[in-house]
Amino acid sequence: MTSKLPMTLNVNGEPHDLIAATTATLLDVLRSSLELTGTKRGCNHGVCGACTVLLDGKLARSCLTLAVDVGERPVTTVEGISGNEAFSPVQQALIDAGAIQCGFCTPGFVIALSELFAREPHAGREQIRAALSGNLCRCSGYVKIIEAAESLAGAAP
Amino acid sequence: MEYVAPSTLEEAYRALDADDARCLAGGQSLVAMMNLGIVSPSRLVSLRRISALRGITAERDGSLRIGAMTSHAELAALDAPVAGAALLAQAARVVAYPAVRAFGTLGGSVAHADPAADYPVALVAADAVIEVGSAAGNRRIPATDFFRALFETALGRSEIVTAIIVPAGPAASRAAYEKLSLVAGDFAILSVAAIVERTARVAVGCCGPRPILATGLALNDTALREAARKIADASDPPSDHRASAAYRRKILPELVCRAVRAAQQ
Repeated sequence: MTSKLPMTLNVNGEPHDLIAATTATLLDVLRSSLELTGTKRGCNHGVCGACTVLLDGKLARSCLTLAVDVGERPVTTVEGISGNEAFSPVQQALIDAGAIQCGFCTPGFVIALSELFAREPHAGREQIRAALSGNLCRCSGYVKIIEAAESLAGAAP
Repeated sequence: MEYVAPSTLEEAYRALDADDARCLAGGQSLVAMMNLGIVSPSRLVSLRRISALRGITAERDGSLRIGAMTSHAELAALDAPVAGAALLAQAARVVAYPAVRAFGTLGGSVAHADPAADYPVALVAADAVIEVGSAAGNRRIPATDFFRALFETALGRSEIVTAIIVPAGPAASRAAYEKLSLVAGDFAILSVAAIVERTARVAVGCCGPRPILATGLALNDTALREAARKIADASDPPSDHRASAAYRRKILPELVCRAVRAAQQ
């Protein structure tokens, strides 16, 4: 028997009360309970990066994070990345560069680049490549993704 | 599955005293295995709230005591003047990807003892000691005895890896970690950790169920390559989707030489 526990998750600045199985991952809860389906389930064991979110401001695999263990730490998903705007600068740069093919990996790349540019507004190519090393694009559209990131680094004040 | 998140080690030891109870550290291996259906613990004891498992402190004898819940990212940022700790920091920088490094922990990786992981190799080369705690008290186990076989350690039931102690070693010694993998962030095809002073102390990972240790290796090219060939001949590497056993044996001498040369620079 799998037991369930009540919890309050702080997602995109809002508290959410929910009940989830103790074995449920943050990814499960985001997609099923909170209907935040921007975060994707790719491999479900930490390799592909499609489920990347920010946990406590750091890049995290939501598929390797148990929902019950999140506790008070804030979570940001791709739905929360642009604030009140339609798109964040990272999202706009990816659109402008044509860096989206099937789009399945895009939310993970958006989160990884957002974390990088919050930390390093003028990140260079090697920093960009290192920051994206945990995100797979099965369409293999890396060139345009990196071009988009470089355009952002150049545009930063 | 039950879930508990105690704030002290004493509570954690009590909570672990159940059939199929498991510690949850960073979750980067355990949750993956749970998702794949490989393990299904009856109770998870989260170590996240236990402050006694955090922090890096210099001991009186010059060694460094690193709390088990130290993340790979924290370890990667360590500016260590001591060779053994510098080796560990180098290994931490090539563990998986940024998101895994942000939450995966030293203690979790050590307790998991994946033969393709980076820390077991570095800890054996650094002559580190694994500090283990239980309700009965603490004990210290040399890394050379701790890693016993494939995913098998000296850790007993209801014991928790509490810290890693890295000795200062000789002042003039230097370290390097060389990892060969298919892509950055993947598990190693083969990895070599080297501590070099007048001779080299070398550990080889991914070439058998536990790290292989070789000490007192002469530093000149011919002797080093010959010694590395002997390690390769005596090794029992796996054949898997990353590489064949024959390939691993063939590249081992070159990787040993590279690690020793890198340490000398």
